[in-house]
Amino acid sequence: MEETKKKSVPLKEWWRKNGAAAASYGGLIFCIILFSIVTPLRGESIWSPAKLATLMSDVIVTALMSVGAVFIYSLGNLDISIGKQIGLYATIMVFVGNLTGSLIPGILICLVLSVVIAVVNGASGPLLNIIPIIPSVVVMQVLSGIITVVFSTLGTRSITLRTIDYSVFKSPVLMFVVLAIEVAVTAFLFNYTRVGKYARMLGANKVAAGQSGVSLLKFRVLCYIIAGICFVVAAVFQMGYTGSASDSTGTGFEMNIMVALILGGMPISGGMRSRVSAAVVGAFTFSILDVGLPMIGLPTRMTFIVKAVIFLIVVLMTSRKKEGTLPK
Amino acid sequence: MNEVVFEVKHMHKTFGPTVALGDVSITLKKGEIRGLIGENGSGKSTIMSIASGKQKADSGEMIYRGTPWNPETMIEAQKAGISMILQEANTIPGVTVAQNIFAGRESEFSRFGIVNMKKMCEAADVLLKKFGIEHIHAGDPINLYNFEDRKLVEIVRCVTDETQILVVDETTTALSLEGRQILYKLIHRMAEKENKTIVFVSHDMDEILEHCSVLTVLRDGSIVGELSREEMDAPDAVQRIRYLMVGREIGDKYYREDYDTSHQEEVALELKHLTFGSIRDFSLTVHKGEIVGFGGLSGCGMHEIGRAAYGLEKLDEGEVICGGRKIKNPLQAIQSGIGYISKNRDQEALILEASIEENIVLPSLPSLQKGLMIFPKDEHALADQEIKALRIKCHSGKQLVNTLSGGNKQKVSFAKWSAKGSDVIIMDCPTRGVDIGVKQSMYALIEEMKRQGKAVLMISEELSELIGMADRILIMKDFEVKKEFMRSPDLKQTDIIEYMI
Repeated sequence: MEETKKKSVPLKEWWRKNGAAAASYGGLIFCIILFSIVTPLRGESIWSPAKLATLMSDVIVTALMSVGAVFIYSLGNLDISIGKQIGLYATIMVFVGNLTGSLIPGILICLVLSVVIAVVNGASGPLLNIIPIIPSVVVMQVLSGIITVVFSTLGTRSITLRTIDYSVFKSPVLMFVVLAIEVAVTAFLFNYTRVGKYARMLGANKVAAGQSGVSLLKFRVLCYIIAGICFVVAAVFQMGYTGSASDSTGTGFEMNIMVALILGGMPISGGMRSRVSAAVVGAFTFSILDVGLPMIGLPTRMTFIVKAVIFLIVVLMTSRKKEGTLPK
Repeated sequence: MNEVVFEVKHMHKTFGPTVALGDVSITLKKGEIRGLIGENGSGKSTIMSIASGKQKADSGEMIYRGTPWNPETMIEAQKAGISMILQEANTIPGVTVAQNIFAGRESEFSRFGIVNMKKMCEAADVLLKKFGIEHIHAGDPINLYNFEDRKLVEIVRCVTDETQILVVDETTTALSLEGRQILYKLIHRMAEKENKTIVFVSHDMDEILEHCSVLTVLRDGSIVGELSREEMDAPDAVQRIRYLMVGREIGDKYYREDYDTSHQEEVALELKHLTFGSIRDFSLTVHKGEIVGFGGLSGCGMHEIGRAAYGLEKLDEGEVICGGRKIKNPLQAIQSGIGYISKNRDQEALILEASIEENIVLPSLPSLQKGLMIFPKDEHALADQEIKALRIKCHSGKQLVNTLSGGNKQKVSFAKWSAKGSDVIIMDCPTRGVDIGVKQSMYALIEEMKRQGKAVLMISEELSELIGMADRILIMKDFEVKKEFMRSPDLKQTDIIEYMI
């Protein structure tokens, strides 16, 4: 504990602790600098209000979802029912909105539903002694079934808000404010309360956390509930952008989350190095590529490939850890 | 007899700022059992792990059988005759014992690419017999056997006819008593009959003194002394080696010196008629200010008693009572003032990828919480207080636990419960893999706990520390208490052992 020793914290150890974060922040900063310099040369700056609005609407849903999903990923778990949850919530919001003339009842129903889904997803693993990805597969199937039944009963593939004005949800300012609030609240929960601390501890070592008095069941369910609430918020913006929901809304979103989190430097096996900022950094990195690459003249058909290459590089740099295992 | 087989010259190895080896030179001869002793972090394991290809030196020279030696892998080293039995478990799960023994050598039993399992099993059985291991059958899946037996399988795999140098790296802590006898027999046979070289890395003084023909003592990456067999037999040898290892006089005070077995009348922990697993109707009362020791062989049931007292076992019958409350899970146990230090330190007691601070405050988080929030300054304050009190060697509380030596890790697992202010501490093998210096401070700590009126349940495979520390010792065998001893200056290990085996 002497002062002299304090300064000589080995670089290696710093890198082990913060390497993933540094690499992913570096990637985002690199993208921002690159596009800030290159895009004005080609006529339109990425910092123009129109492009920033495009960026916000591109990033908002993924960012809102990923921030919530940090609580699940930090446990070392994987939830593949998220996309279908968004789809169902959006459908309910539109449907109930048309029935009642207000979005509030629909959102409340979704919040209640999200808690139920969180309890199923979070509790069945430890209670039935199965790896948590399995219940999430079952939930995904059930939700797909419900969505299919709803839309075939309605006799259509998409429904639209009829009387409610949803233009406010297209406002990039509102998007930014809501995202900022969600990040602030989750970052607080994640870093300064027991839920977040326990989530990381459980992700790192379930047995040791349990022997230190952490209830796996209770805190895993709490994490899923926090994530579920974030998913409802994301669903509002997903639905609000077009004022509609369809039978394919949300499909594959869980993969966007996984990509965003990994790009943001989230350890795929969860644990101590999990951070809320990974969700934000990752989601923005991906969206800035979405918006920026066409602006520097890359044909839209090529963006997927470029993004895939960048993803691969980041994965090789950050996730290639000996102890890294796939989330369950 | 005195032919040099292996030589290390001016070897350096650093890990970051830590000097693991600073200019070490050592010469190994045929037919000797060379002991390497030193505290954790002294570099005793590092030398031989470089020699056997597990890691590389920064600089220095190795000469093996007259030619320069730089193995790339452990397999290369093993083929050339340097085998190392590691501290960690190293068997392949899910396959048979025979497949483990002949892993990488399947071609010896295969024709046209198909391995003849029957032949392999027979050869493995012959090999097991040769090592005097009768109770392990080659055809069984390895998973049928416990940790201790798997270690024996590893030994059989490591040692071949080609082996010239066998490195035994702190293996005995992972072996049962029977297993140790098998290993001792093996190394004596190899050294004395086959003129092979054994390097025996340990920090168990008794073991080293009993079996080694020459002893090298290391401290902080340097060789600080070499003792011949005659010097090891000298009456003051233990004192001298301890002094060399620690670098200062640690004094005679090691264990408790008083023989006062009095304690408070108040009951701290009560186990009532516990029945679970193989344990039948087990009862125990622990009082405040009492140290109750549990001894026995590793499969005797004593570890399970510790787990049950902490609410980790599902009881068929009976109850655990602490502070008037029934304990059914670790959370209730902690709330009632019980702390538990698992013998599987790295898997169960500590979160290795978390920092020292995060580990220390973990059980205390509920009480640090103000409203919903836990303030970082409260966490720092609590952790720093324990780091200071227990003298945990680190540059800050933010340092990750997996960068600490075994002794300091164990201090962190003690610190968790002293931070929490637990009144009943259940410690399972509290000094496993811990060196003398740290052991000494642990014993002082346990003594201090008794003085403060805390109840201690000390489960240990080391009889000497039970005799040295406990007020009463319960010896278990076959899931029952066979005998109870009270603390006494006349109590000897030999009095106790007969009830264990």
